[in-house]
Amino acid sequence: MNTSEASQTIHEQIVTLLPRLRRFARNLTHNPHDADDVVQIAVERALLRLDQWRRDARLDSWMFKIVRNAWIDELRSRGRRDKVFLAEEAGDHVGIESIENEATRMSVHAAMARLPEDQRVAVSLVLIEGLPYKEAAEVLEVPIGTLTSRLARGRQALQALLGDEG
Amino acid sequence: MTISDETLMAFADGELDDAARAAVELALRTDPQLAKRVAEHRALRQRIQAAYSAELSEPVPERLLSAAKRRADASGTNVVNLQDARDAMARDTARARPLRTWWGPAGSIAASLIIGLGLGYGRWHQSAPLTRNAGGALVASGQLAQGLSQQLAADGSAAAAVQIGISFLARSGDYCRTFVLSGAISPAGVACHHGQEWQILTLSQSAASGSATAGYRTAASEMSPAILQAVQELISGEPLDATAEAAARSKGWNSAR
Repeated sequence: MNTSEASQTIHEQIVTLLPRLRRFARNLTHNPHDADDVVQIAVERALLRLDQWRRDARLDSWMFKIVRNAWIDELRSRGRRDKVFLAEEAGDHVGIESIENEATRMSVHAAMARLPEDQRVAVSLVLIEGLPYKEAAEVLEVPIGTLTSRLARGRQALQALLGDEG
Repeated sequence: MTISDETLMAFADGELDDAARAAVELALRTDPQLAKRVAEHRALRQRIQAAYSAELSEPVPERLLSAAKRRADASGTNVVNLQDARDAMARDTARARPLRTWWGPAGSIAASLIIGLGLGYGRWHQSAPLTRNAGGALVASGQLAQGLSQQLAADGSAAAAVQIGISFLARSGDYCRTFVLSGAISPAGVACHHGQEWQILTLSQSAASGSATAGYRTAASEMSPAILQAVQELISGEPLDATAEAAARSKGWNSAR
């Protein structure tokens, strides 16, 4: 029986995913220490809940979702959730004109940090982690239309922040 | 015809179905503005990907690597659903490489033991008595590992977290010791010192476990039949006497062989 082989593969696959999980978690949390804590919690949860992983599903999507949920739980337990939502709303009011007036070109990281959270996470999953729209929508538990609109707005803002030089 | 920027984005990302893609391709031939937008979407994607590629070659902290390699042992954080933990653990033990014929029946006890003890322990597994090494073998950690390495059979007070029964040299050349953990489950087992770890070869519920009077027993005298049989299978010669036990401890449980 190859169950032990399969389980071996899971552990190895998760090890292989760790750099991407950390990268995603950093875009989520904006803090490398929080990111690693959240990844650790997510890895532990994933290993406890392997039975909930559909074998036909992508492991990376499933793990991203656990990372995100772990972060939401963490924020909730810190009682910071309200503040985060406020910040997100404020981010929506960052005027594109004012940004365009800034003489210096921003780095991609700085531009990403200025996106509202929902756009940043959508951009992170699709453009950085390379998930198809459908997978990214499932990670975020939103309809695909919501995902594409967040992605489009996020890209538009990034384009404005980064300039046209590609 | 008008094509929304969202559609162009989806086109650039390769997300459109055949019909929609064909429609966009047709429009691109006649509208250079649209072609420019698609190129911009692609360029932005590449730029962002490139900016975040360095993260992938950063070294991953050891704690994350070991979390990923560790078998689910339920002693970690936020065990929201105990049944999940039990199920995961049961599967996990079923997969475990059998070290001895004894290992099989010990599995479910190991699961409940780890869950039972693990829930009361610290967030990052610091003091759980059992853990799995990189190869998936069950090994002693925390107080159990400490007790196995340092305690002599004579030290075993009823209040100690770990009580040592007998110590002996196994036919494999490793030193092995029987132990009983205090607590409601009060499991007993045989651990053998191998490669700087105490590998757990047998685990069994101790005879006194039903009485709920942890401590009301002497570790050596109440070995369960499973432990006794494991010892008989493993042992080479006679159990160590107090002098030999102390000598083995002073050598760090590394036998001459």
